[in-house]
Amino acid sequence: MKRTTRLLIGALFVLSTLLAAAGCAKAPEAQKLTIWINGRDSFIGPNEQQLPQDQWYISQAIKRFEEANPGVTVELVVQADAYAAHQMFRTTALAGNAPDIANLWAGQFIFALEDAITPITDKIPQADKDTILGWDTDTVGFTAGNPILGYPTPDNQLCFFLYNKKIVQEVGLDFEANPPRTMDDFYATMEKIKNAGYIPIGADEAVDGYAYYFFQIAAYWWVQQNGFDPILAEDRGEANFADDQALLTALEAYQEIWAKGYMNQDAATSSDSWNKFLQGKIAMVPRVSSFVKDAQDALGVENVGVIIPPDISDTAVIKNGTIGGPGQVMVVSKNSTNVDLAIKFMSFLNSKAEVLELNKFQTKVPIRTDVTPTDLGAEPGTALAKLIEWSGNYVFWVDNSLSGPVVDDFNKLLPLVLTGKMTPLELAQQLDKDKGAQ
Amino acid sequence: MVSDKVAVKRRFRLSEGILSILPVLVVLIFMRFYPMVAAIYRSFTNWDGLYRSDWIGLANYVQIFTNSPFWKLLRNSLILLTTVPLQLMIGLFVAVLLYEEVKGWRFFRTIIYLPQIISAVTIGYLFRVAFSLDGPVNLVLRKIGLEFLANEWLGNTGTALGVLVFCLTWFSIGWQAIVILGGMSKISPEVFEAARMDGANYWQRTFFVVIPMISRTIEYAVIMSMVWTLTSVFAFIFSITAGGPGYETSTLDYMIYRKFYQAGAPYGSASAFAVILLIIILVFTVVEMRVANKASEWE
Amino acid sequence: MLAKVNQKLSGALVFLVLLVLSITNLYPFFYMFLNSVKSRTDYFVNPFSVRGLELTWDNYRTMISQFKILNLFGNSFFISFFTILLLLCLGIVASYAFAKLRFKGKEVIYLLIISTMFIPVQATIIPLYVFFSRLDLVNTGWSVIFIYVGMFIPEVILLMTSGFRGIPDELIEAAKLDGAGYFDVIRYVIIPMGRPSIILCIIFYFIVTWNDLFAPMILLQSMDKRTVMVALAALLSRYSGDPTFQFAGLVLASIPAILVYVFFQRYIVKGISLGATK
Repeated sequence: MKRTTRLLIGALFVLSTLLAAAGCAKAPEAQKLTIWINGRDSFIGPNEQQLPQDQWYISQAIKRFEEANPGVTVELVVQADAYAAHQMFRTTALAGNAPDIANLWAGQFIFALEDAITPITDKIPQADKDTILGWDTDTVGFTAGNPILGYPTPDNQLCFFLYNKKIVQEVGLDFEANPPRTMDDFYATMEKIKNAGYIPIGADEAVDGYAYYFFQIAAYWWVQQNGFDPILAEDRGEANFADDQALLTALEAYQEIWAKGYMNQDAATSSDSWNKFLQGKIAMVPRVSSFVKDAQDALGVENVGVIIPPDISDTAVIKNGTIGGPGQVMVVSKNSTNVDLAIKFMSFLNSKAEVLELNKFQTKVPIRTDVTPTDLGAEPGTALAKLIEWSGNYVFWVDNSLSGPVVDDFNKLLPLVLTGKMTPLELAQQLDKDKGAQ
Repeated sequence: MVSDKVAVKRRFRLSEGILSILPVLVVLIFMRFYPMVAAIYRSFTNWDGLYRSDWIGLANYVQIFTNSPFWKLLRNSLILLTTVPLQLMIGLFVAVLLYEEVKGWRFFRTIIYLPQIISAVTIGYLFRVAFSLDGPVNLVLRKIGLEFLANEWLGNTGTALGVLVFCLTWFSIGWQAIVILGGMSKISPEVFEAARMDGANYWQRTFFVVIPMISRTIEYAVIMSMVWTLTSVFAFIFSITAGGPGYETSTLDYMIYRKFYQAGAPYGSASAFAVILLIIILVFTVVEMRVANKASEWE
Repeated sequence: MLAKVNQKLSGALVFLVLLVLSITNLYPFFYMFLNSVKSRTDYFVNPFSVRGLELTWDNYRTMISQFKILNLFGNSFFISFFTILLLLCLGIVASYAFAKLRFKGKEVIYLLIISTMFIPVQATIIPLYVFFSRLDLVNTGWSVIFIYVGMFIPEVILLMTSGFRGIPDELIEAAKLDGAGYFDVIRYVIIPMGRPSIILCIIFYFIVTWNDLFAPMILLQSMDKRTVMVALAALLSRYSGDPTFQFAGLVLASIPAILVYVFFQRYIVKGISLGATK
């Protein structure tokens, strides 16, 4: 019986060795690129995965690239979870088998991965540098002159208000002609909508632990007052969040809107603001570009409008803008042996021709300055035309801009500020404590 | 002479035991011990998941105990542990009913396990909606005149934790019932019948016949559900309360999960959290095993 | 008289409890199914409404014809099957030792093995990935299988040891007197007598591995190696997605899990010791 046990163990070892050997039988290919794409939000549209894989936009783009570059093959990997993709990129980089190109999130998310990314600063074609927006979001520390870590994905994901035109007309307003541009205007408008029995603003501020949308509006109010530099300085520990009057003012407005009943009262725990908006119970919801089409499908194209948030004060340095920018990026890993080819491919995906192709599958606000609304078939006055018009004046996503521990606590504690359980100052003080924490 | 033979036999037995567990140990050394030791080592560093890994001594632990919601997380983890006796009791209740073949038991035994098959995110979403301000729970309370009970369940610490305990318990009833049913299969039906003939009612049968005979099964069920509650419920928390409001319903394992996903990748700190969790569960388990060993002495 | 009323009352109570449990257990499936046959817009407007429901089976058709969900089933099944096979082989032998054999350091080793369950898998995945990549095993189902075996073998040992402890020593001694060797004891005494814990092991770890997202997501990168749950997870994200299509996939993916449960749970029957002693 002893022998049999030994045999069993022996067999196990042999089995695992054989398996290991089977895995080794891969021959290296000189001109092969592996690219990770997020399952959603970048190159794959809402219904695209219902098509066979070779009919997806990205597969066709790869095919076009391969045809234009004989001898090159590109292997596509779709990541199921964009968040986890960062952890996986880290892990694969450590093991030395990271993909040539990975689709990650811009700003702090890639800065934290700097050691695993090949900077492409000097290798970007000048034409791309001139015509594509958002290189700053991929530049370490958002500071010009630092290494550039990647190529933006061709998508300017803007955050703005979608509104129900029927409700707005019913209370005697016209956002198309006179959108509320000052805070006083905005509050007066909300008051009217509230008195008509509708919820003026719907938001779910704690779904999945992230203050998704309405906070982005408040973040715009914060950043627009003095611009990004003071905020980045606070994040680096050179100044205090608690001393930032613009932050406190923005958070007070954030809280006040809830307290005055201009928002669904369960915003800190709800998850149905989108449903209620589509049911016609909510007048407006803060959302990003990818939601426009679903709203139009449910409410009718003629009933859906878009506006940007009002400006917080007359003295703000940025006006008539909103939160946005290319939140996603493509980076080249340190262990890639085909850096030049990788850059060529990323440039190819950002070319005007490809941007137009991509828009046949899903509506994206372009980050190329030479793509006009007419190129995309957007009639003047339509939602898409307006988004394109705003897209040059965005304030970059705050949650991509602050360092990890700060943004983590920020997200966690915002619902408490919203419902008045925590004051803006207390939150700011906690953020000051988080800086420098691991 | 005789003693020699006994000694030989004993040595042989010893190697038989060791040989039996050797394959498992080999697998575990690579799959668990090595990464665990690595995690313990990393908990004393400022590891960022890549190449930065400087020894920083106890700094992560100091940080956790001084500037983090650690005590709140521990409190929440311990409160969620109340699900263990709850699911065990309800599971036992259901298992005995199934054993006694109440009407429709075949059907019921088939669907009792269904929640385990559905993803935690779907379940979490349904619970989140059920307990939302305009959700069905509040709707029913208002309809039956208990309006004062209707509130924003997920917005207050106490009720939000209550909803989580409720969800975890509901999710696990089927698992507990099947485990206990498995343990009960060694109880011979005659013993059960005899007890019934003697006039023992349902509760007496459960407490004096079933429980003493399945103490080892209960030990397993308690350890497993305890470990599960302390290490693997973040998906439920994520989708029901997202640990909020603030950190009011965040637990240790939820924090570990969040830290691993944070942009700055504080893996050293996350590892320290994991080590603390490991120690806590180890203490619980040792105590639990002692109790179970005592209990099985009178089995 | 009173006893009879009491009995009826408790009978009604039991019925009510079971009814509520049944409905709540079935509801999530109803919900998933309901939304898998809805149009995208109807789902967004109200995921709970049955009004205006047009049963559209397109999602299911596309799942099978375009999404090739059945191929994905194959990937998942391969992993689940070999995980369970290894868990059973290793688990039965080791649990027999812990439950019935005496050897030095047994208690300590047992606790050591059990304690490996106490650390979240997140905290251990990076060294494991690097380990498998050195062996060139990433992107193969085997890496996931070995991780699962490492993750679940302590649980299996805990389960089976508790089950095997109840097997009377006399049976084993009797078998040995009849000349049964080590493997004979396992085959003719331990396996039949410990059947409930073996069946539970199959049920638990089939469903757990079938539904798991984390390990396969990290270790299996190529599109043709993905498990069904990973592929379905790719259908939904923060800003957009294909929820009704995903629901159709989730409903289909739950079928094998349900079948495995329904098939194996029948073997958890009472009076197991009776059958075996004969």
